Amino acid sequence: MSVWWTVFRKELRDAFRDRRMVIVAFVVMPLAVPLILAGMSALGARKQVEKLEATLDLPVIGAEHAPNLAAWLASHNLRIVAPPADADTAVRKQESAVVLRIDESFGADWRAGQPARVELIFDSSRPIQSGTTINRVRNLLEAYDRQVGALRLVARGVHPAVSSPLQISARDVATPESRFDLAKQLLPYLMLLLAFIGGMQVAIDSTAGERERHSLEPLLTTPASREAIISGKILATAAFTLLSLVATLFAYRLAFALMPSEHVDLSLDLPLPALARLLVVILPIVMLGATLLTALAAFARSHREAQGYLPLLIFLPMIPTLFLMVAPVKTQPWMLAVPFLGQNQLILRILRAEPVSAAEWAISLGSAFLLAGIAWLVAARLYHREELAASS
Amino acid sequence: MIEAENLRKSFRSRRGEIRAVDGVSFRALDGQITGLLGPNGAGKTTTLRMLYTLMRPDEGRVLVDGIDAAHRPADVRSRLGVLPDARGIYKRLTARENVEYFGRLQGLAPALIAERTARLVAALDMDDFIDRRAEGFSQGQRTKTAIARALVHDPRNVLLDEPANGLDVMTTRSLRQFLQGLKAQGRCVLFSSHIMPEVAQLCDRIVVIAHGHVVANGTPDEIRALTGMASLEDAFVKVIGSEEGLFG
Repeated sequence: MSVWWTVFRKELRDAFRDRRMVIVAFVVMPLAVPLILAGMSALGARKQVEKLEATLDLPVIGAEHAPNLAAWLASHNLRIVAPPADADTAVRKQESAVVLRIDESFGADWRAGQPARVELIFDSSRPIQSGTTINRVRNLLEAYDRQVGALRLVARGVHPAVSSPLQISARDVATPESRFDLAKQLLPYLMLLLAFIGGMQVAIDSTAGERERHSLEPLLTTPASREAIISGKILATAAFTLLSLVATLFAYRLAFALMPSEHVDLSLDLPLPALARLLVVILPIVMLGATLLTALAAFARSHREAQGYLPLLIFLPMIPTLFLMVAPVKTQPWMLAVPFLGQNQLILRILRAEPVSAAEWAISLGSAFLLAGIAWLVAARLYHREELAASS
Repeated sequence: MIEAENLRKSFRSRRGEIRAVDGVSFRALDGQITGLLGPNGAGKTTTLRMLYTLMRPDEGRVLVDGIDAAHRPADVRSRLGVLPDARGIYKRLTARENVEYFGRLQGLAPALIAERTARLVAALDMDDFIDRRAEGFSQGQRTKTAIARALVHDPRNVLLDEPANGLDVMTTRSLRQFLQGLKAQGRCVLFSSHIMPEVAQLCDRIVVIAHGHVVANGTPDEIRALTGMASLEDAFVKVIGSEEGLFG
């Protein structure tokens, strides 16, 4: 029997006997990830509906100057409420999403046929919380504006089309699968993060932990080569991560099956073929993560030191997600070769049910496996250092 | 047979270079127990680590059964059974699984491992804990497990770093008998110790190390004759030059 296989089996057995490790990988993760995503999606959907359809309380300053406008707004599912004392502060403190101020001279201007002034007070730095509400009020005001404008033209014998040289009609080609959704932006990140550092405990325990418990020196007195030993450890870490990932993905599917359909965005569901494709995309990241973690942990003197590198590793898969949020560019072939960025793109495309060509598969898998190979060489080199075993 | 030829090893530290081993030569023969005696910090562990190829000597040569450790380290390791300074057995595995793991790494077939394990369990009196997980083992149980693990491949040469460390009187006694058994089977047994009576009782040959040098090398009688001292204890103090660390 080959050495790496012996090491692989021993490390997995060791890992599965550590109750804490097993609970995190096979209970906490499979519970947390679907809860975060499904919960976020359900909450998002409900908020959206509420903001669009529920009666909106709109604080209006000087409503008495424009009773007709106020009545018109009230007939469009808005309730006019008394304004706060200081509108700017109230908006900034998020007590109101938007405040409408009607100018004192509104009545006079209106009767004179001058543009009458209304002012919307809002905070554009909170698009997620109040963007929908602001748009809703703005759209209503514009509708009133057009409606009265058209009536005035008709009253003067002019066809209202004269003032509308453009007829703008919008057609949204987004499929249900491609709609923007925070949960959907988060899913690739969570999966990549889990694939990348999910095996952290196993990697640390099998290298830095082994050093700390002084079992590495006896291990190195056997004829087993260090390459074979480290390969067994890396593969055990990868296998553990992969099993945890599969458990998490199945828990995710189960969560969607159990949730009442009106509460979830069904486009976040993962049919089995998509799930299989996702796992293939992520596989090289699992290998890369397992190898880097093992190399890092082999470099560290202790559990604690190895865990010190963790924040760095959590940040790494985040970079492309942030990049895509800030600059949502069209996929270029070179991007697929960049680890995390490429996987992020492919995961999004699989979720959107878009096809991925053979060449794109090859670029993504090839580059990530190549990197994992380089990391393996580094890890093996680190394992040859003399100080490794003889630290005491 | 284990031969050390003029071994030298230095370590870099913040205070400059430390010569841990500075020209150590000796020979440990088959069918004999050889003791490496010296105070703490004399270079015993470093010497042993070079013998079992964990460290490369800066100078000098290690031969095990005539094989040069620098050229064929894996072959040398498969001819050695090593109980390192750090026992480090796997706590989540049973004693038997610990022994099995090393048997597999030595390339033995499962049936052979089972047979050897049974023999070692009997010889080391491990019956009552062989199938228990190592978590919570006593020092004696840990040492026995580590010895069984080191000998599962039936090596001709046995290296033990401070084997009696932390053991109670009874366990030390049975360990002594076990080492005598290995000698009777014609093996080459080399162990290090800083405890003089232990070495005096067991060894056919004694190599005394101090400050990285071999300061005396011979049978207990030869060492007594060399120093002109009647007791071995006085002889040791004389060759080492002080009593420091010898009776810790």
